[in-house]
Amino acid sequence: MNSEAAEEGTMITSTSASASESEKVDFSSSEIEYVSYGGEHHLPLIMRLVDEELSEPYSIFTYRYFVYLWPQLSFLAFHRGTCIGTVVCKMGEHRNTFRGYIAMLVVIKPYRGRGIATELVTRSIQVMMESGCQEVTLEAEVTNKGALALYGRLGFIRAKRLFRYYLNGVDAFRLKLLFPPLQNSFLLPMNKNDGHYHQDYLQQEGCSESHHG
Amino acid sequence: MAEKASLVRFLPVPSPSEQTVWADVSSLLNAACEDLQEGELIHGENFSLFAAMSALEIMDPKMDSGMESCGYRSVEEAIENNAAPIPLNHDRTIDVQCVIDVMDHLLACEATWHTGHSLAQTVFSCIYLLRLERTSLHPLLHTFCRIIRATCNSVISVVSDARTHEEEDIFIMAHGLPLKGEGDEKCLSMLQAVEETISRQLRACKALSSNKKVLEDIEPLQTKFDLEEGYCKAVLCRLRFRKHFYHTLICMRKPQGKGFELAKKHIASCLSELAEMVNSSVFLSSNASGICQTDAEDCTTASGCQPIGFDASLNGRFSAPTPPRAIKIFGWKKAVKYFEKLLHDLAIICSFSLSPFFEDVLRFVGQFQKSKPDLVARAHLHILLVQDGKLYGRDYFYDIISRAISLPDVIKNQELHKSDFVVQLGQLVVNLLKVLCTNAAWQRRKLGKILQDWSVTSVQLELALKRELGELSKLSVDENICIKLSKLLLIWSEEQTFWIASRFLMMGFELELYSPCEYCMVYWYLYIIFVKLLEKTQMRLAASLDTSKKKGKKKKDHPKDTTIDATHFSPLVLLLRCYICLSEGLAMMLAALSNERMISQKPSIFNSEQERFIQHFDLLLKAHVPDHISYVLFKKSTVHTQLTSVMKYNYFGDVQRITKELRGSFAGDPERLAELRQIEQVAEHNRIALNVIHQAGARDQSLKLRKTSGRHCGQMNAGGAFGGNRGVGPVPPEKGIFPLDHLHECDLEKKEYMACLKSSNHLSEKCKHFSKKYLQCRMERNLMAKQDLSELGFREELDKEGSKERDNKIEK
Ligand SMILES: CC(C)(COP(=O)(O)OP(=O)(O)OC[C@H]1O[C@@H](n2cnc3c(N)ncnc32)[C@H](O)[C@@H]1OP(=O)(O)O)[C@@H](O)C(=O)NCCC(=O)NCCS
Repeated sequence: MNSEAAEEGTMITSTSASASESEKVDFSSSEIEYVSYGGEHHLPLIMRLVDEELSEPYSIFTYRYFVYLWPQLSFLAFHRGTCIGTVVCKMGEHRNTFRGYIAMLVVIKPYRGRGIATELVTRSIQVMMESGCQEVTLEAEVTNKGALALYGRLGFIRAKRLFRYYLNGVDAFRLKLLFPPLQNSFLLPMNKNDGHYHQDYLQQEGCSESHHG
Repeated sequence: MAEKASLVRFLPVPSPSEQTVWADVSSLLNAACEDLQEGELIHGENFSLFAAMSALEIMDPKMDSGMESCGYRSVEEAIENNAAPIPLNHDRTIDVQCVIDVMDHLLACEATWHTGHSLAQTVFSCIYLLRLERTSLHPLLHTFCRIIRATCNSVISVVSDARTHEEEDIFIMAHGLPLKGEGDEKCLSMLQAVEETISRQLRACKALSSNKKVLEDIEPLQTKFDLEEGYCKAVLCRLRFRKHFYHTLICMRKPQGKGFELAKKHIASCLSELAEMVNSSVFLSSNASGICQTDAEDCTTASGCQPIGFDASLNGRFSAPTPPRAIKIFGWKKAVKYFEKLLHDLAIICSFSLSPFFEDVLRFVGQFQKSKPDLVARAHLHILLVQDGKLYGRDYFYDIISRAISLPDVIKNQELHKSDFVVQLGQLVVNLLKVLCTNAAWQRRKLGKILQDWSVTSVQLELALKRELGELSKLSVDENICIKLSKLLLIWSEEQTFWIASRFLMMGFELELYSPCEYCMVYWYLYIIFVKLLEKTQMRLAASLDTSKKKGKKKKDHPKDTTIDATHFSPLVLLLRCYICLSEGLAMMLAALSNERMISQKPSIFNSEQERFIQHFDLLLKAHVPDHISYVLFKKSTVHTQLTSVMKYNYFGDVQRITKELRGSFAGDPERLAELRQIEQVAEHNRIALNVIHQAGARDQSLKLRKTSGRHCGQMNAGGAFGGNRGVGPVPPEKGIFPLDHLHECDLEKKEYMACLKSSNHLSEKCKHFSKKYLQCRMERNLMAKQDLSELGFREELDKEGSKERDNKIEK
């Protein structure tokens, strides 16, 4: 097995998003309900979703490892009582940093492209940040354009390429999201106009510039 | 139930010893299982949830390799059930057909193994190989299997000696396989004998068919006379390919590249036998009689038939304790292609001049890596470069270093290799060469790590130099030489450090690690690195001229400005200047576009560009390559950049000017010329892009390009990188901000636009009609992502004929 994987204790993959954008469901975003992992009755729901959508095989022990130890980091999305998306994560010490790790993320095909995955990971990452994580990492197949775009927009960079990382022989990217050192400065300016954001941050660094007008 | 059962497997098993007493605990376990409620877990010191993850769930076909094979439980059982009969068929014609299929499938397996699968699941899925002694009654099959086994051993030894397998760990795993056998050293003579027999059979059949007298009485290969020639030929080229391939491997292992000339001949023979094999496929498939494989592309034999005697599941238990790997054996045609490429890559190694100059070595490795050679070829290069701690097993690395810094003879004769620093740098050079032989993904990570070592060594050198200078008061000639040596070593080691950094950054493009919105900072950092690299290169050149001048003092043939000439106008220096202009130009252009809101991206909610900067350049920043770089510095130097200033500095025009000068110096060096051409193209495309964008932006400041944000990034900068100063540049500059128009599909449009610009004194305003046509052409041909032209500042009205007056009004 890949040493990187062994080091992380797990591996993640995905079927590349060759989404045959099958019958889309008509729904409004407000109908989607997000819940934190609530116990053993959620486990089969998560397993079914992940088994269907991700290429890497996981045993039930893998799921248990994550949801038993970090239930607060796993979320499920429901639409009218059906589970349609889930995220499974962990966090812990890794080479002197406290880091979060996104293990699995899935939204079923009819519900894709509506921001559900974004909402799910955002919730997990928020909890990680509040729990003192300095960074978040994950691996994604280089061919998984959807996931790469999604994480890119959340601020992840592609830190490394992992040669033939997956059992199916495909390369992976190790994605990383570094949190800024001063957390509070980041929760505030979120709702400001696009583009002014970096400048605010820069000004904190003592680089005066006033250039938008 | 399955869960509970598999938990049992993970209870600690004591190692058997004399005192071990075995007891049946099934009833105990059953009772325990009865007690467990649904969802309950067993906890134990040796059984954490983490450990449990590596448990394989028994009876789950996804996890349990045992579930997959519905086939035989052992090789013996397979053989008993006639899965690998000998002879393969009692009809001798069919027997030959089947043997050829086995040969072909083995080739396919071998290629699959070389490209990242386990030996157990590929070559050793062959039952004949697993029990080689059984085949001794079938000389043809037997010798073929033997040479395959010998070849596998030889390839494994190269790869494990080169330690390149660290990057591809499953390659050399051969646990439990019968790889070593008696008598393999004789495989070549056995092969020779079989080959001889078949050539005689071929001769005999040719003689018969042309009604000549048969010189000797020989039993034919098989029974159908009309097929005899075809089958003899098909078998012969397969045997000869194996023979020459094995010879190639042996020759290439000879120390100091001494076998390269012979190896080249064997490689040429391999290639022509491969061509023969391909030729034979028409004959083989038209006379095939076995069960046909369905898909022609996936077909693992030339005949198209399913081979006899293979069963991958038999070795299931030899594969690592992982879930079964999905494995697809190469199609035969693809396998032939693989071997052709491998042989070409090996031929490149054999043709290397074994130059003792470090720069040449780096250039060669870089050029070699450009064709993305696979593991086996890279392992051979590695073995060549570092043998017995010497370059090519021939030159001491301290000699290489002294040559690189053009050390004056006075010092050379001193005991250079006793200097701790030289030893240390020698070790760094060895590591660097090893790293440069690995695959791109691995290489970049390792380059990032060794950067630290180089930079530490430079710092130590600098400290030592300061100390020596401090003791200058008691100056003697000897000390002076010491100082000179330290100075040269310091400059050289810094130069290498910056070169490694530039390669590290550029490889990020090849590996697709940068998203378009990060290009600006990457080009900026590259620019800084290139400037530093140039500085060190110039210092080294000046220092070496200094020494040679002293040497030639009396001749007085060094006019004063040769130093300036060499340090400012040497081709190497000029080439570096191109890279500096190009990276600076791209960084500034991107900065300007984002400052003028022509590209922008939504801020991410969790961090900012600053964190992305820190993460991308983490290893460089930690190694202080160079000192005092920070995000704030990046921002300060780019935040005020405007398009007009980018236009004014004319970075891309400068590049084009320098490349023109350089072409003469590189005449006769096709690699360099190709590099120059690529640089020129990138410069040209970006100059045009800049013109077009500048015009679009200037006309309508209020243009809301921001709305289409994010996307713009991806569209305008289809990725860009360029070769390094020594040609080790990992990425050919395929793309600039615009992808290159390789087919010159939009040449006409471009020329019209450029001509218009010229005639209108570069008032791009007057040429928007042409620039629009040019952009449209690019979009139509996918040389630029499609987007509404209005987003680029072209209004609908401009489109209509006769709207010129209105046009003018708008502009006023
Ligand atoms: C990846 C996946 C979770 C995305 O789910 P989703 O709910 O559609 O994602 P979102 O709607 O939150 O997408 C957010 C952004 O991601 C990007 N994105 C998502 N899917 C994309 C796709 N197929 N192509 C391009 N971009 C895509 C877009 O930028 C999108 O924003 P936009 O629609 O405003 O442009 C889903 O496709 C999936 O389950 N795939 C299979 C499993 C998988 O790959 N998991 C990831 C393992 S690391």
